Amino acid sequence: MGNSEKLRADQLQIIRSGKEVLSGISFCVDSGEVYALLGGNGAGKSTTLLSFLGFLPPSGGSIYIKGVEVRSNIKAARRAIAYLPESASLYEHLDAYENLRYFLQLAEMPFDKHRIEATLDRVLLASDSRTQRLQNYSKGMRQKVAIALAILRDTEILLLDEPTSGLDPSAIDEFHNLVRDLADSGKTVLMVTHDVYGACQVADRLGLLRAGKLVGEFTAPAGQRIETEAVHRAFSSRHAK
Amino acid sequence: MNTALIIASEEWRYWLRSSLAISVVALFTIILIAVSLLTSLRISEEDTERSHHQSEAEQSFLSQPDRHPHRMVHYGHYILRTSPPLALFDPGLDSVTGQSMFLEGHRQNSATFSSLGASADLGGLSWLTPAMIYQVFAPLLIVLLGHSAIVREREAKSLAPLLAQGVSGFQIVAGKTAALLLFVLFLLIPLLVSAALSLPKGEDILTVVSLLIVYFLYLSVWVILTLSVTTMLQKRPAIIAVLAALWLTLTLVLPSIAVNVASRLAPVSGKIETELAMLTEVRNVSDGHNVNESDLEQLRSSLFEEYGVNRVEDLDVNIRGIVSQRAEEKLTESMNIFADRRMEGEVRQAKVVMKHGWASPMLAIAFASRALSATDLEHYHHFLRQAETLRYDFVQGLNEVHSEQLSYADDINRNLSEASYNRTRIDAENWGLLDEFRFETTTSTKRLKSAGLPIMMLITWMIGLFAILVWASTRLKP
Repeated sequence: MGNSEKLRADQLQIIRSGKEVLSGISFCVDSGEVYALLGGNGAGKSTTLLSFLGFLPPSGGSIYIKGVEVRSNIKAARRAIAYLPESASLYEHLDAYENLRYFLQLAEMPFDKHRIEATLDRVLLASDSRTQRLQNYSKGMRQKVAIALAILRDTEILLLDEPTSGLDPSAIDEFHNLVRDLADSGKTVLMVTHDVYGACQVADRLGLLRAGKLVGEFTAPAGQRIETEAVHRAFSSRHAK
Repeated sequence: MNTALIIASEEWRYWLRSSLAISVVALFTIILIAVSLLTSLRISEEDTERSHHQSEAEQSFLSQPDRHPHRMVHYGHYILRTSPPLALFDPGLDSVTGQSMFLEGHRQNSATFSSLGASADLGGLSWLTPAMIYQVFAPLLIVLLGHSAIVREREAKSLAPLLAQGVSGFQIVAGKTAALLLFVLFLLIPLLVSAALSLPKGEDILTVVSLLIVYFLYLSVWVILTLSVTTMLQKRPAIIAVLAALWLTLTLVLPSIAVNVASRLAPVSGKIETELAMLTEVRNVSDGHNVNESDLEQLRSSLFEEYGVNRVEDLDVNIRGIVSQRAEEKLTESMNIFADRRMEGEVRQAKVVMKHGWASPMLAIAFASRALSATDLEHYHHFLRQAETLRYDFVQGLNEVHSEQLSYADDINRNLSEASYNRTRIDAENWGLLDEFRFETTTSTKRLKSAGLPIMMLITWMIGLFAILVWASTRLKP
């Protein structure tokens, strides 16, 4: 296990209500890398993320975050992670600043107005919407606040669950650019998605998950993107079975 | 700032921005203030009226002209019980036990109601007291506010990011608990005002503080119960259904079952039945008017021996007064047996109801609240005993006057002429033997002791539920 390795699933098996949801999958994600887990509904993508967060203890195998097994110190593992669920889970009765302040307070981090403004600029959240309550936000705007929180928390690892689901194409492009940007600055990103095109756009490596098994892995050639066609073929053929 | 406090302050911000939460709390506050004011006005008016009638009754007794003392025994006297200071908050049993009594010789009358119009002030809703609002409706308010504390986060999917950033389930639940406990303190402000107002009226600070603490305990039980349910169950409809069922069962159904169980397990004879039995029993005991010949002979012999004489006319005392004294003493002994028996039965029944406090915190708080407010069964019995002491003392006082200040010869010849009749009228100054009646409650320490078991019940509820909540919080998952 190298020093740059931040996430590792080793023969991870999850059994829920007597059903095997993950059947001994193994993969690792290095520092500065974007790893996409691609799969259809019920493939076990979100279950994998929840296992990394310690919400689902492994029935078999192990999970490591920064070389430490999650079960041995869940709190430390979670402190190293920023997690974005499928629908950005922020508080609708608060505005963007209030949401950020609340979550930063809980993370025991200072509320630096200048840094927050700079981060919200970075995620392209319009200035005039920042003092509005999130109940008036679109899904894309909420996602921007959530990613801003992840940036502000300055964790080494980001776990993204279907981050572009429900976003319009321009918001998806903006989001992918941002994720790429974060990875280039040294962050480790594990995202789960069923969007083949999006995954190939942003990921350095891609694992194909089907019925709880890792059935294929693709790596982007140096300086290039993963070939969408090849992944699409593999995804469609296996997904159809 | 501490994580739990950050979560607590966020919960408050949510409530303050929620129109539903604000409306419900505002409505509750208005109802509570209105009921507190109306109850306070009603009881103050009744008390003023009772104090006035009490003085009038005393004046009326004292201003009677010179008379035969036994006529004063039958003239009798009214007493009225004024409410203890905390009855403004919890009238307890006072509204069903009667507050006035006619005291006379040879009889122990029941307490009756001095004011039939008492329930008209609230449109027939005088049962709705501030204590009742705290005991029945405040838990509902806590359920309304608290049921969504965890499930709301789960529905909004904000629970996962909170837990994922290292905040523990225990910290989240502790934060929500702190928010609701702070809300409970806010709810207690009207009670604090009511209780503080009772201090200048003579209430003890220990009782006032104890009352505030027991209500805080009771409402905290509801806070922890509500949070336990919302932490353990996943879906809002299930949470609402369980909490609604618990509220109905604990505040309405169980107390009603407890009363039925008590009346079956520890039946108490009704008032008419008891009085008929007592009349049958005391019929054989002389009241001084119908002296049994053998009893009279016995008394006569003992008096002759005591005074060293052979004739009634030679005694230094009027034997008729002595006969009345002895008869009243015997009669009272018999009547007291019935009174004690009835009171013991009522206490036994109340104890059966109170034991249900282990199953219903509402019963526990009701008993603790009444005991501290001096409006419980013990204080009603205390009133009956105070009244009986007064009755016995003034009747026997008059009998003593009869025996010492009125000669036997004048007494038996009073119907011979107007002049002889007038000789049996003794000086009205003697009516001053009547003591003033002012209902005295027991000491605060004694009241606290009476409330001990219900308080223990509340503490047990609190500890048990807290253990469940801690257990559930450590297993909190998105």
